[in-house]
Amino acid sequence: MTGEKEIKTINRLESMHPLRAKVNETYLKSIEAIQAGKPTVWAMLNFYYGDPILKAMDIEVVYPENYGAIAAATGVAQQYLERAEADGFPSHLCGYSLNTLGYTSRMMKELNGQIPPEAPFGGMPKPLFLMSSAAICDARYKWFQALGRYMDVPVWALEAPTPGTKEFFIEGYYDRMVDLEVKHLRDFVAFVEGMVGKKMDWDKLDETTNLMIEVNRVWYEVNELRKAKPCPMHSRDFWSAMPAALFLAGELEDSLKLYQDMYKEVKDRVDSHVNAIPEEKYRLVFAELPPWHSLGFFNKLAERGWNFVVESFGYRPPIPIDLSKVSDPLERITRFNLQFYVGYYEDARKQNMLGNALAYPYLKYAREWKCDGAFLHPLISCRSASTHLPYVADMLMEELKVPSLSIEGDIVDLRLFNPEDALAKAEPFEEAMEHYRKVRKQEGFDW
Amino acid sequence: MSDKNKGLSKAQEIYLNRLQRVKELKAAGKKIIGYPCVYVPLEMLTALDLVPYRTCGDIKEPITESDRALPSSFCPIMRTCLDCALKGKNDFLDGMVTIHSCDPQEKTARAWESYTNYPYFHFIDMPITVRPEALEYFKSQLNDFKKTLEAYTGKKLSTDKLEAAIKSHNQQRALLRELYELTKPSPPLISGTEIVQVVKALMSLPAAEGNELLTEVISEVKSRTDGPEEKSARLFIWTSILDDTEIMKVFEAKANVVMDESCGGMRAWRAGVKFTADPLEGLADYYINEITCARTFRQATLGETRKDYARDLQSRFGYLRSIVKEWKINGAIILLVRYCDPFAFEIPSLKDYLDSLRVPNIYIEYDYTIGALAPLRTRVEAFLETIS
Repeated sequence: MTGEKEIKTINRLESMHPLRAKVNETYLKSIEAIQAGKPTVWAMLNFYYGDPILKAMDIEVVYPENYGAIAAATGVAQQYLERAEADGFPSHLCGYSLNTLGYTSRMMKELNGQIPPEAPFGGMPKPLFLMSSAAICDARYKWFQALGRYMDVPVWALEAPTPGTKEFFIEGYYDRMVDLEVKHLRDFVAFVEGMVGKKMDWDKLDETTNLMIEVNRVWYEVNELRKAKPCPMHSRDFWSAMPAALFLAGELEDSLKLYQDMYKEVKDRVDSHVNAIPEEKYRLVFAELPPWHSLGFFNKLAERGWNFVVESFGYRPPIPIDLSKVSDPLERITRFNLQFYVGYYEDARKQNMLGNALAYPYLKYAREWKCDGAFLHPLISCRSASTHLPYVADMLMEELKVPSLSIEGDIVDLRLFNPEDALAKAEPFEEAMEHYRKVRKQEGFDW
Repeated sequence: MSDKNKGLSKAQEIYLNRLQRVKELKAAGKKIIGYPCVYVPLEMLTALDLVPYRTCGDIKEPITESDRALPSSFCPIMRTCLDCALKGKNDFLDGMVTIHSCDPQEKTARAWESYTNYPYFHFIDMPITVRPEALEYFKSQLNDFKKTLEAYTGKKLSTDKLEAAIKSHNQQRALLRELYELTKPSPPLISGTEIVQVVKALMSLPAAEGNELLTEVISEVKSRTDGPEEKSARLFIWTSILDDTEIMKVFEAKANVVMDESCGGMRAWRAGVKFTADPLEGLADYYINEITCARTFRQATLGETRKDYARDLQSRFGYLRSIVKEWKINGAIILLVRYCDPFAFEIPSLKDYLDSLRVPNIYIEYDYTIGALAPLRTRVEAFLETIS
C-alpha cells in the first residue's frame, strides 16, 4: 500500500481535527518543557489511576508505550530492539518494552544520559522516576523494573486489583478493592511529593479528578451515539480522539469543550442519518489496537461497505458512574479507575453471563451496536492485549452467531501486518457475515 | 532392592500414575480440588479435608483444544494445562482454585471457568507488591476464599483446623528442605530427577500422606548405596516450572542438578508459614513474601526514592548467595519457558547477579514440549563443556 495515494472514503468528523490538534500541540509543548529541564516521569498507561496525581502535580509525563509506536513508525525502533536483544532480553518480549530497553541502554551506556540524536519527536529524557502499572499485563511492571539495569531511577509500581467475576459479588469485595487502592494512592502521593519536593495541591487534584471524570463521561456518550444505524462515526475518529481521554493528554478544560463539540456533531449526524462511510453494508467491532502504520487500509474496507462502529474494551471510557457524593478525590479516582475494570460486571450478571467475563464487553457491543462481524487484530508481541481474542471469537459465535476475522499484526514490527492479505480475506468474510445474518434471524436475534 | 510401596519407588509410581491415588480418595468420598499454581494456599483446602491436586500439563501431548481459547504465542505451560482440562483429563475434579499469580494464570483461569463445569470454582486475586496495603488486600482475598469454601463444603473453617493444616504443610516444607540437604554432598545422595518425582507426587497427595512419603524418602536416601554418580558439574537451575523428569534428565545426563529453583523444586518450600493470631495473616505474608517467583515486585526499600542497582539485585536475588555457597554450585542454567514475561524480564539482571557471584551461567529458552528437548540437550552439553 505504501506509495499509493490514499482515497479517503471515510467521512471523518470535523470536530475530531481540533481535538487531535490540541493533543499534538500539548505533546510538542511537553517536549519543549522537558527540553527546558522540567522534571519528567515515564509512565505506563494506568487507566485514570496515577495520571490525575501527576497532572495535578504539574509533572510532564511521557509514555514509553506510545513512544514505542512513534519509534516504530519513524523507523528507529529496529536498532533499539536489536540492542535490547544483545543485552540479553528475549526477542519475544513486548515490542514496546524492547524499544524502551534498547533506547535506555543506548542513552545511558553510550551517551551518558543524553537523548540519542536519532530519537524522533525530541526523544525521552532520563526521568525523575518511573510509574509502572500492574493493570492488564505483567510486562508493564516488570519492564520498568528491568530498566534499573541502566539507570538508578526509582520505580513506583501501581497496584491494579483484578477481581474474578462471580467473586466480585461477594459481600464487601468492591469496598476492599477501594480500600486497597485509596491507601496505595495516598502512599503514592507521598512518594511523588518526596520526588518533586513540593506538596500536593488538593484543590487542584479535586478539580482535575472532576474534569477527568466529566471528559470521559462525554466521550462515553459520543460513543453511545454510534449505536445508530447508519453509524455516524468510524473507528478512525475514535482512535484519533482517544488520547485526550485515555491519557488525559492536553488541558482537561479544553478537552471537555472539544468532546462536547464532538458530541454535538455526532448527534447532528444521527438526527440527519449521516453515515461515516458511503454505504454501510456491514457493521463491525474492531478488537485491539489498529495497525497504526496502515490506517489507509480502513478506507479500502469502507469502499466495500465495512463500517467500524465499536472498539476494544481496553481503550474505551468507563461506563459513567455518579461519584459526586464522594468527597475524597483519591477515593473518587479509585472508584473511577475500578469502574474501568468492573463496570461491565453487574450487567453481565443480569444477563447471566458472568462466566464469559473475558468476552462479555464484546458480546455486549455486538448485541447493542448490532455488529455483523468482529475484526480481530492479535498483536504478536503484545500477548496480554491479544490473549483473549480466540476466546472472544469463540464466544461471539457460540452466543450470538457473529463471525470473526483474525488478522495478525504487531505494535512495533510493521512487517507483521499484511494489508493485501487482509483485503484478500474480505470477500469470503463478507459471505460469512451474510450467512450468519440469516442464522441470527432464524435463531430469533434482532439483527 | 527397594520396597515398591515405599519411599522413592512409591514416589516414582505416583509420579507415573498421578491419578490413581486421587481416584481412590475420591471413591472413598473425598473431594478433590485442582489448582494450577503454587500460590494457592493449600492449607485452607487441607483444613476442610479437601484433597489438593495440582493440575499439570503434559510435554508429550500435542496442544489442540487450547487453541479455542488461547493464542499460540502464549505461556506454553498454561496452554498445556488448559488443553489437558479441555480433553477431560481432569474431569474427576470436584473443584478448581485459580489465582492471579501472573497474567497468563489470570487469563487462563477465566477461560477454564467458562469451558468447564466443576461444582466449585474460585479465583483469588493477588497484588504484585509486598506493601502493607497489598498484604491486607490479599488477606481479604483469602477470607473470601474461606467463605466460598465453607459454603461449598457446608463446614466451618475454624482457626484450630487451619492451624493444624498450616502445621502439616509447614512440616512438609521442612521435610523438603531436609531432602534438599541431601543434595549437598558430592556426589549428591538424590538426583534432581528423583526430586522432580517426589515433588510431583507431593502435589498429588493429601499433605499428611505427602509427609509420610517424604519421611520415607529421606530415610531411604540417607542410607542408600545406589545414589547418583558424581558428574562434571553441580548445577543450579532457575526456571518457572520444571515438573517433568524428561526435562531434568537433559541436565542430569552429564551433570548433577543439586538445586532446582522452580515450582517443581525448592521455590514453594523454602520457608514456613508463621503462626499469627489470625492464621490468614500468616498465610498472606507467606504467599506474597516468601515464594521467590519473578511475578512479585520487590524493592530494596519499600517506596524508595533513591535507587541503587546492586541493592536492588540483592533484594530480588539475594537468597541465591547462600545456595551457591552451601550447595557448591559451579554452573547455573537460566531456563526460560518461552513467552513467560515475568521470568524473561529478570534474565539480564539475574545474569548480572550470578556474574557477581562468579557463577558461570547460561540462558536457554524452550517451549515446554518434548520436541524442544533435543536442542536443549545440545545447548546444555555445550555449556557443560565450557565450564568443565
